[in-house]
Amino acid sequence: MRHFLVMMLFAAFASVVFGAMGKETTRERWLYGVKVFAEFMVIGLALSWILYFIP
Amino acid sequence: MAKTERIEADEVEPTPGSAWLIGVAAWFVPGLGHGLLKKWPRALLMGGVVWLCFFIGLKMGGHMFDLNAPEGSSQALQVPPMIANLGTGALYIISWVLGYGFTDDPQQAARATYEYGNTFLLIAGLLNYLTMLDAFDIAAGRKS
Repeated sequence: MRHFLVMMLFAAFASVVFGAMGKETTRERWLYGVKVFAEFMVIGLALSWILYFIP
Repeated sequence: MAKTERIEADEVEPTPGSAWLIGVAAWFVPGLGHGLLKKWPRALLMGGVVWLCFFIGLKMGGHMFDLNAPEGSSQALQVPPMIANLGTGALYIISWVLGYGFTDDPQQAARATYEYGNTFLLIAGLLNYLTMLDAFDIAAGRKS
């Protein structure tokens, strides 16, 4: 669980910066930040499951 | 076509000197660039993230890189992570002067959060490079 929380924290930090500098309007920035956060989480989880099965 | 390109090239305004200063300030103190531009929410968000990321990385037991390579390792391998760490500006320089956060002993490396700490310290620097570029672009009038 701790690993997952650290990954979430990392994703949150990165998505805040990406979102803040990525788009023009506040709404677009929010949406982009949430999208980047979700992408980090989904790709992180997918990679961790792939690596789990690799001996 | 060539004429159009030439006209477009002529219309590009030179970057004001203040933009370079803002860029340097943004690199040196995370968040200061946006602060000088009076973009307070961005200064707090982007600068705050860099500061948080840096101190959480240190708290987790991560270490920063300099040119002193550990035994059996090449000095060239130290350069890319050092450039990433150097992105935190004054935070890196002060830590380097104080000799804090650069130790890489086996006890510290045995901590469960050691690698996470390293990653957070690297990411703090890289995120501050992005913050610096954003402040530079705003100061140069390329974005609002």
